[in-house]
Amino acid sequence: MLDAGRHPNIHLLAYSQVEELKGEVGNFTVRVRMKARYVDENKCTGCGTCAEKCPTPVLDAYNRNLAHRRAIYKYFAQGIPSVYTIDTEHCRQFQGKKCGVCAKVCQAEAVDFEQQDRILDLNVGAVIAATGYDLFDASRIPEYGYGKFPNVMAAIEFERLLSAGGPTAGHVVRPSDLQAEEACRSLDKQILKLSRSLDSLEKKYGMSSKDFLDRPADVKPDPQDDLVRWSELYKEHQDLVIARDALKEKVEHSHADKLAFVQCVGSRDFRFNAYCSGWCCMHSIKEAIIAKEHNPETQSYIFGMDIRAVGKGFEEYKIRGGKDSEITYIRGRVAEITETEDHQPVIWYEDTRERKVKHLPVDLVILATACEPSKGTRELAEILGVELDAYGFIKSDPSHPVDTSVPGIFTCGCAQSPIDIPESVAQASSAAARAAEAVLSRKAAA
Amino acid sequence: MSRDILIIGGGIAGIQAALDLADMGLMVHLVEKLPSIGGKMAQLDKTFPTNDCAI
Amino acid sequence: MSNSEAKPRIGVFVCCCGSNIAGYVDVPAVAKYARTLPNVVLVQENLYTCSEGGINEIKNAIVEQQLNRVVVASCTPRTHEPLFRNSCKEAGLNPYLFEMVNIRDQCSWVHMKEREKGTEKAKDLIRMGVAKAAMLTPLDSVELGVTHSALVIGGGIAGMSAAESLAGMGYPVILVEKQRRLGGLLNQLHKIYPGARDPRALLEEHVDRVTKDARITVITDAEVQSVDGYIGNFNVGVSSDGRTRLYEVGALVVATGATVRQPPDGVYEYDGRRVITQIQLERRLSEGIDPAPRNVVMVQCVGARVRERPYCSRICCQIAIKNALEIRRLFPDTHVSILYRDLQMYGVANEEMLRKAKEAGVRFMYYDVDRPPEVENEHVKISHQLLGKELDLPADLVILSTPLVANEDAPRLSGLLRVPLDANNFFLEGHVKLKPLDFASEGIYLCGSARYPANLAESIAQGLGAASRAATLLSKEHLYTSGITASVNPESCVGCLGCVQTCPFQAISFDPEQGVCKVNPVLCKGCGTCAATCPSQSIQLMGFTPKQLYAQIDQVLADD
Repeated sequence: MLDAGRHPNIHLLAYSQVEELKGEVGNFTVRVRMKARYVDENKCTGCGTCAEKCPTPVLDAYNRNLAHRRAIYKYFAQGIPSVYTIDTEHCRQFQGKKCGVCAKVCQAEAVDFEQQDRILDLNVGAVIAATGYDLFDASRIPEYGYGKFPNVMAAIEFERLLSAGGPTAGHVVRPSDLQAEEACRSLDKQILKLSRSLDSLEKKYGMSSKDFLDRPADVKPDPQDDLVRWSELYKEHQDLVIARDALKEKVEHSHADKLAFVQCVGSRDFRFNAYCSGWCCMHSIKEAIIAKEHNPETQSYIFGMDIRAVGKGFEEYKIRGGKDSEITYIRGRVAEITETEDHQPVIWYEDTRERKVKHLPVDLVILATACEPSKGTRELAEILGVELDAYGFIKSDPSHPVDTSVPGIFTCGCAQSPIDIPESVAQASSAAARAAEAVLSRKAAA
Repeated sequence: MSRDILIIGGGIAGIQAALDLADMGLMVHLVEKLPSIGGKMAQLDKTFPTNDCAI
Repeated sequence: MSNSEAKPRIGVFVCCCGSNIAGYVDVPAVAKYARTLPNVVLVQENLYTCSEGGINEIKNAIVEQQLNRVVVASCTPRTHEPLFRNSCKEAGLNPYLFEMVNIRDQCSWVHMKEREKGTEKAKDLIRMGVAKAAMLTPLDSVELGVTHSALVIGGGIAGMSAAESLAGMGYPVILVEKQRRLGGLLNQLHKIYPGARDPRALLEEHVDRVTKDARITVITDAEVQSVDGYIGNFNVGVSSDGRTRLYEVGALVVATGATVRQPPDGVYEYDGRRVITQIQLERRLSEGIDPAPRNVVMVQCVGARVRERPYCSRICCQIAIKNALEIRRLFPDTHVSILYRDLQMYGVANEEMLRKAKEAGVRFMYYDVDRPPEVENEHVKISHQLLGKELDLPADLVILSTPLVANEDAPRLSGLLRVPLDANNFFLEGHVKLKPLDFASEGIYLCGSARYPANLAESIAQGLGAASRAATLLSKEHLYTSGITASVNPESCVGCLGCVQTCPFQAISFDPEQGVCKVNPVLCKGCGTCAATCPSQSIQLMGFTPKQLYAQIDQVLADD
């Protein structure tokens, strides 16, 4: 990333989109809209003071909604370019309320509420579409409980949990426990508020709440309302403390040791995507191995049909994972996921090797959701005039694996089909070769 | 006529293609719709099979 | 840099590397300790020192704190040392006044369960690094020219694709092929899928292109005999027609493919007649099978994913299913069964082919690795897991899907090129994830099944990819070598020739006039073997001199 940001030959246009393309190989004209960040890229140093002071929390898409960011934000900490952006959908200022705190605290005077989108017209000889993928929405499979049961998560969400830079600094915590912790925090706030009210009453009467409620008959509250109010406050306070302590106790004894990985969620599935999503088997194995590193008590179960470890070093990784990280590979597709009290998910499946229908209660379920063409691929394909295949990936032919239906436009990575990182990196070089050929041979001819 | 190249998408594939072409001395315009490049790989913790960090 | 003669002012940057280091080592404690070390004027902790933020901090610190030495305690130099060196250079500091301390691979990763000891070790490592840093001296690089042409070893589909692409970009290419014909394994295929296409057409297209392209020189029936030189300046000796010719090129591409493993006789009753391999089936299908077989049984993973050969050969399931579809197409009355452990039909096109095969009536049966099928005279016995019983499948033709294995002469070529092989003798790329088509040695690139089994589309893509990688080198006018090379002190050298004999890169020569040895800094790879050999320490490796190393050793042995 850093190399791309620093290279003198790379003109980085982040927060931008292609709107129009005309012409032909060797001579395309492209219209690019550079969206307004409302921050001057040339002045912003990426210091982050604006975000620190911004009053508006927003669900953080980078952390898959497991955490919050601010309305002025960086997509992620190490992002290139290292510049902040205002999310106008949530920013108070842009939603008609008064704010402008970021502009006030920015020492570089980089915030510019008047900034406009800019249009850039480019003349290029070749184009590479590397628009990647988005993930299947697992709530389309209601029997898996995604979106209903807190402890059923998508693999990318689990990835954020495992990350040191993620919402739990890499600790594997079940979402139901995260919710419970959130609830504890909210209860703490309420308890604090009540304590303050109780404190003022205690000061007024010069005795503790407990003593007051056990007071001798001749001590009269003044006014009479105080008595009722004090009792009510005290009772409420007690109840909240008990509830909070119970939650805390539960969270402390909760653990995320038993993990179930469900493969082929939304892929190899006639209802959704018939194709195989290529890298999810390896991804789940990796997550199981990493989870074990973070928590030695981890035991993982991977439910799949075929476990496709086909790349260099992958089969060995899978076997090592099985041995060292206590991964059990179960050959059977998951039929249904239910939940017991305490949000404990239960997996219902057929173990085809034992020819039995079984169920397995676990602590956390991770759904290996399928890789789909990224949103916007369809619109982009129209703009570029390239054909898509039946699944919405950019179409190419095996004998010309990175060429699209338009000469001079190439594709690589998951935009082309679901492939893993080494293959994406290799294919990216392939597309670069084709693009270079397209512009250099023309120049040589011209 | 132009020798410049437009790359749409700043994930690992787009970045690698951009670097190759830039290293060949060609001018690359790398367009990314999100506020920063890095794509899905930036959301990963470690990558298989070497367990190197994704960043 | 004049400031290198001044008293050392060392900046230490301790990286958390996300949780890779910070999860197992007490980084704040380590940073605190680093502040107490001699000559250290600045210590910083970073979440990711290699990020833009981290790099900027280093550069700013060099300028603002007048640092004349930088120590980064993080991952392995193999990942980011060049980045850090460049950053120092950009800030005006000689890039060799930089020392990297590996507290990840050599510390946090191996002491995950021993936080205290790991932390103490990290402190020791940094103490050593700081001591060495104080003794570093600025070093220079050498400027090299580049020959703007390439040599591709291997004329199969990957090699041809690489050659075509490089020629298309304007570079002359020598394409060396061992066999009489170009095309490699493609020559032996009956059909390619999807679409039951004729591989000959594809082959002709490519052979036509490479032979007609004025920039490509095709040499068949040829072998690489010698490789001298270095990145941008290779001299390759190629023998053909009884003669050896030398070619000067700037980059090399390894596209030598792989070999289909033939099982030893008897394994699964292999006899080359009734029990054959997939590649033999391809030939039979091309020649025409008459009479048609009645029952074909294919067995997957024969000699693959087993202890002697643990890898999955990636393409055998695709090949089996392709051939099964062919058989069903040619002989609609023939039954085909495929016995498998996992159906490795990854991705979009393969999964579709699997579906088509099922629709075409091919039967798939899962077998457990511990209960493999048994081939008998007229049957194949399978312990059918899903039905829970033993089945006798009638089989008048049995096809064994065997893996691709590394070519027999891979070790020879690896020795000539001085590039490594992995545990399965496939060529080992620079980084399995981020540099799949490069070698760690510069100027040499890799594609196709020489790296790992690859299907048609993958081989073509990788061939193109290797061309792109080579072009990033060939497009340059000049290259700069590393400054870490050996150097001889002529005063103390007695010309014993110990270093000359031990140098693996033939980088040292003897000057008879002066009676001393001399290092060619361009050939020198900085391995240090010479320095370890010299009895008088006359030849030393810059950046790893005895004084610097002893300073580190002293620190290890010192009490805290």
